Amino acid sequence: MSGIDLIFKIAAIGIIVAVLNQVLIRSGREEQAMMTTLAGIVVVLMIIANEIAKLFNTIKTLFQF
Amino acid sequence: MFLKLIGSILVITASSLLGFIISSDYARRPSQLRTIKTMLQVFENEIYFMSSILHEALEKAGKAGDNEAALIFTRASENMRKGTFSSTERAWAEAVKYCMPRTALDKEDEEILVSFGKILGTTDIEGQVKNIRLLISHLEIQEKKAEESRKRNEALFRNLGILGGFAIVIILF
Repeated sequence: MSGIDLIFKIAAIGIIVAVLNQVLIRSGREEQAMMTTLAGIVVVLMIIANEIAKLFNTIKTLFQF
Repeated sequence: MFLKLIGSILVITASSLLGFIISSDYARRPSQLRTIKTMLQVFENEIYFMSSILHEALEKAGKAGDNEAALIFTRASENMRKGTFSSTERAWAEAVKYCMPRTALDKEDEEILVSFGKILGTTDIEGQVKNIRLLISHLEIQEKKAEESRKRNEALFRNLGILGGFAIVIILF
C-alpha cells in the first residue's frame, strides 16, 4: 500500500491503543492495559517490518555496500 | 470499496453488540437477585400465614416476580405438581439448573439456590421460615457483590466491545 495510507493506518492503531489503555486503566485492570499496549506495538512492528527491510536495502545500495 | 465499507460496519456492529450483551449481563444480575428476594418474601408469607401447599406457594411467588428469575419458581412448582422427580430437592435443583442459562445469575448464586432446595419442604413451618430467611441473607450479600461488580464492569465491556470492533476494522482494512 502507498506511504500515506500506511501512516494513517499506524496513527489510527495508535489512537485506538491509547483509548483502550485509558479505558482499561480506569476500570482497574492494569495488566490487561499493559497487554493491549504491547499487542499494539507488535501489530505495528509487523506492518512496518517489510518497509524497514526495504529501507535498509535502499541504504545499502545507496552507499554501495 | 462498498463491500469493504459494508464489511467494516458489520464487524463493528457485531463486536459492539457482543460488548453490550456481556455488559447487560452484569447490569441485570443485581435486579434479578432483588426480585428473587421479593419472591421469597411472598413465598414465606404464603407458607407462614396461609399454610399453602408447597407447589402452590411456589407458583404464587413466581407470579410476583417480573423478570427471568421468576422462571425458577414457576418451573419448580410445575416440576413438583407433575411429580416427575423423586424429591422436592431434585425438583428445585432441576428448575434452578434449567433456568440458569436464561438468567444473569452467577455460579455462586446457583450453588446457594441449590443448597436452599435441600431443606425445602423437609421441616415444619418454623424450619422453612428460618431456611428462607437464611437464603435471603445470603442473597443480600451476593447482591452487594453484584452491585460492585456491575459498577466496575458494565461500562468497561460496553466500551471494550465498541473499541475492539474499531481495532479489528482498522487492522484488517
